[in-house]
Amino acid sequence: MINRENAPCVELRGVVKSFPGVIAVDHVDLEVAQGKVFSLLGPSGCGKTTTLRLVAGLETLDEGDILIDGKVINDVPAYRRDCSTVFQTLALFPHMTVEGNIAYGLERRKVDKGEIKVRIGEMVELMGLGGMEKRHPSQLSGGQRQRVALARSLVLKPKILLLDEPLASLDRKLRKEMQVELKRIQREVGITFLYVTHDQKVALSISDIIAVMANGKLEQIGSARDIYETPRTKLIADFMGASNIFPGKVKNGTGKDVEIETESGLKIIALKGKDGSGKEITGVSVHPELIDILPKGADVKGGNRFEGKITEMIYQGDFIETKVVIGRTGELVTANLGSEFGQETQFSPGEEVVLHWSPASSNILLG
Amino acid sequence: MKSRNIVDKILPVSAILVYLFLWIPTVVLVIFSFSNNKFGIKWEGFTLEWYGDIITNVGIRNALRMSLTVAVITVVVATIIGTITAYGLYKYKFRGKKFLRTSILLPITVPYVVTGGALLVFFTRIVHIPLGYISIIIAHVTFSAPLATFVVLGRMGRIDWTLEEASADLGANVLTTWRKVTLPVLLPAIMASAALIFPWSFDDFTVTYFVTGIGTTTLPIYVFSQLRYGATSVINTIGTIFVVLPVLGILIMNFLQKKEAM
Repeated sequence: MINRENAPCVELRGVVKSFPGVIAVDHVDLEVAQGKVFSLLGPSGCGKTTTLRLVAGLETLDEGDILIDGKVINDVPAYRRDCSTVFQTLALFPHMTVEGNIAYGLERRKVDKGEIKVRIGEMVELMGLGGMEKRHPSQLSGGQRQRVALARSLVLKPKILLLDEPLASLDRKLRKEMQVELKRIQREVGITFLYVTHDQKVALSISDIIAVMANGKLEQIGSARDIYETPRTKLIADFMGASNIFPGKVKNGTGKDVEIETESGLKIIALKGKDGSGKEITGVSVHPELIDILPKGADVKGGNRFEGKITEMIYQGDFIETKVVIGRTGELVTANLGSEFGQETQFSPGEEVVLHWSPASSNILLG
Repeated sequence: MKSRNIVDKILPVSAILVYLFLWIPTVVLVIFSFSNNKFGIKWEGFTLEWYGDIITNVGIRNALRMSLTVAVITVVVATIIGTITAYGLYKYKFRGKKFLRTSILLPITVPYVVTGGALLVFFTRIVHIPLGYISIIIAHVTFSAPLATFVVLGRMGRIDWTLEEASADLGANVLTTWRKVTLPVLLPAIMASAALIFPWSFDDFTVTYFVTGIGTTTLPIYVFSQLRYGATSVINTIGTIFVVLPVLGILIMNFLQKKEAM
């Protein structure tokens, strides 16, 4: 017997969905806890949007079960499910006003007209849409339209809000603002969010739990910090920006440390992981911001120290992306150099430098 | 440089000539509709007699009524068929889809004379439908429904169909979605096809001529038969009305649009 109070808001058990020629969702199991922001993160075509649509009822699954609040809803049509979707295209009804859009779901549920007015009023206030009730979507800005789409779904007080890359079409500044807004609204209303995105920055900033997907499979689930700092596979590491990936095998393991050697003979020290999956260690990844660049001949104690030459420096505004080739073995390493305002940078391309990072910064890759 | 000067001089001249060529017949028509000449071919003094005739003339009134009725029914039936067909073609896969897609082109590409002849044989020899209102309406719908299909189909390609998904997501079943979202969004296209079909049906001569019955007839055919009897004043007056009205309509619309833009 499932204890309904603690039942996860949404559960997927062995869900499979194929389209001609491709398995879009490949035996996915996951649980979304009540009141949390759960993100599906992954590159285009990884199956995250299909998974979301399966929960919404906009696609029918081939195998497995989907449960909302402990009840199996596989055969419940989309218009009867207690979830609401915010689409990537927003899908605001162009021929209706803001009020008409927000009221649409309530009208379908035959909610009393007076009650509808009250609920719309609450939503307009929550979303900061005051004064725009009678406008049509074409008369609103991108951010305003965003908020109407949200309002339209939230006003129904669904068990779960499904968001399909809703910030994808916004410019950087607006996206950052909306991220904060979303988080605030979620906290205030307490509704469970299932959020789909390909943008790891967005996922990191708003999620309680992130599930990384690739090729229809769930690769890793964890908190934002887990996924960013300890991505478990090469694919996830690359996707999260830990762009220094050294494939290799374990050579030594003494005490807290474990040494991994690449094919080219580069030896990297990492801390022994707590992962008990028994999977084979296949390499190490390191985030560029964790690697220090020091002048040639610098003396550092312990950790990973390698000598190399700068091949490229790319200005990024808040830092300088620096590519260094390791002398002995030839690997190309990316490290971030802090950019110093108004001063000549310490290093320049062609210069010989020393790279250094601590064993704790080495992330072990499995499988 | 020299050739450009010549082109610069010829272009306006040829443009004027083209306009004259196009409009002189019409202007003459309009002028002579006020002439006191029974045949409307000479100027013999100003009169409004012929305009008065239209109102009293039973033949014209009946023909006008028939043309309007046929046009309205054709618009309604053809847009309904056209919209549903376009929706099916755009959204669904079914056997014979390609065949339907290409066969819809046929009524538009086949010459009117052939269509008219074929329909005549069909009505008289094969299904034995009496020639009259019914045969004309069927003939008109046969041509117009594909037109409506194309116009609506064209618009469908530019619509964000997640609108229907959003509607379902918010709790509307298929029929409600169709009623509250799909149709309103398609309305501009449906109106556009109505705006194309109505004048076509009203103006059509060739196809109608084949399938029209004895006695009752549409306005274009009535005018044609009147010509046979030499009563050209009818053409002048009807022609004038049907030139002046649309032009007035366009001018008014232009004026209204300019007003809105201000």
